[in-house]
Amino acid sequence: MTEHIDQTAPHDAGEHHDDGHHDVNYAKIYVALLVLLVISILGPELGITWVTLITAFGIALVKATMVINNFMHLKWEKNFIKWALVVSLLFVALFFFGVAPDVMKHDGLRWVNDAAIASVERGIEPPHGEEGEHAAEDGEGEDHAEEGDDTTVEGEGATETVAAAFSAPDAYSATCATCHGPNGGGDGPGAAALDPQPASFATTEFWDGVTRESMVNVIQNGGAAEGLSAAMPAWGALYSDDEIQQIVDYVETFQP
Amino acid sequence: MQKPIATTRSASGIPTGRLAIWWLLASEIVIFGGLLACYLLFRLGHPEWADAAAVTNTAIGATNTFVLLTSSFTAVLAHQAAERGDGKKAARFLVFTIIGACLFLGIKSYEWWYEISHGYTITSNGFWSFYYTAAGLHAAHVIAGAIAMGFVAKDAAQGKELQRVELVGIYWHFVDVVWIFLFPLLYIAK
Repeated sequence: MTEHIDQTAPHDAGEHHDDGHHDVNYAKIYVALLVLLVISILGPELGITWVTLITAFGIALVKATMVINNFMHLKWEKNFIKWALVVSLLFVALFFFGVAPDVMKHDGLRWVNDAAIASVERGIEPPHGEEGEHAAEDGEGEDHAEEGDDTTVEGEGATETVAAAFSAPDAYSATCATCHGPNGGGDGPGAAALDPQPASFATTEFWDGVTRESMVNVIQNGGAAEGLSAAMPAWGALYSDDEIQQIVDYVETFQP
Repeated sequence: MQKPIATTRSASGIPTGRLAIWWLLASEIVIFGGLLACYLLFRLGHPEWADAAAVTNTAIGATNTFVLLTSSFTAVLAHQAAERGDGKKAARFLVFTIIGACLFLGIKSYEWWYEISHGYTITSNGFWSFYYTAAGLHAAHVIAGAIAMGFVAKDAAQGKELQRVELVGIYWHFVDVVWIFLFPLLYIAK
């Protein structure tokens, strides 16, 4: 980094009531900031996406730059100060782009974040909803790598879901319906991303190929436990044996 | 009067106190930047958060933006007065800035009280968790800044340590800049 002496701060070390270099018309800057504030409030009212982006975030950048340059006097500061701040920003950018693929995408080649998908599906409930519903949302950030052997990860988000009285239909819609579909047709929102496709409980082929024990085993230990798709997670850490029996009872109601 | 070494030493070419403030802000960038980056990541991945963002009161957010911009203006006027050696005037402008900080916190308290009493709490869902965490961390900085300005103003009124008026001002403008970004992120973007 090169230092241009003429651009930089005063050479005096102590108080600096001597230099006239901060000759900014502060009132003018302040008025400009207020005008920009008004624009940034009115612009998004139009409801046009690109206008909102420019007026809300573009103007925020302009306002921040004006404050930083004119009020914080960064433009007169030595260059290494600017570099220190830029390096901090670069670390933030590194962090953002480093985790963005995992957090912003809800599925990938070999994984599905079904808590996030379910959360988008469900939307935001109005307040004073059922406690259980809110608790279920706490898990939305967890990426559920579905390798069949990650019971601990799977358990985290949803343990509170069953804190209230257990109900097999509720448990089914919370944990199974995302892929197996609300009516067991194997057509949930998460199904599109899966290969092989999730089982459909509405076909006779499915019921020809399973026993009650094998169903319990798959729910408890994941698809891989029965040589089936590893994308079927293990739910043993989430539901008790008795609860899994109830879920199987419920799944049987989809039988054609 | 014995001055602290940070006041007079200038190994880097700028006063050490000011260097320290910039380092502080460099670390603050990572704290707030990391939090806001997380918010963006989740917000972009969760279109349904827009429903929650629509609940936040834009008028209150805008009023608080106005209050903070104004307090930044008085902070820089305090700095200008200190540069001209007018400690009393600098202290007076710092007091105005502190009043701005208190006004900001008062409005924020009302806003949170209203939202919490309507059932939007930090555990409601991801959006509200970020809302209270980001605005809360920011409010903590407002409180810290107001207290620091109180000490600086007390000295400045007696014509002492006038260089600190600029330092506390730089910090205060940073708090303002953070809010400039929080406002569209939490209030405007629907």
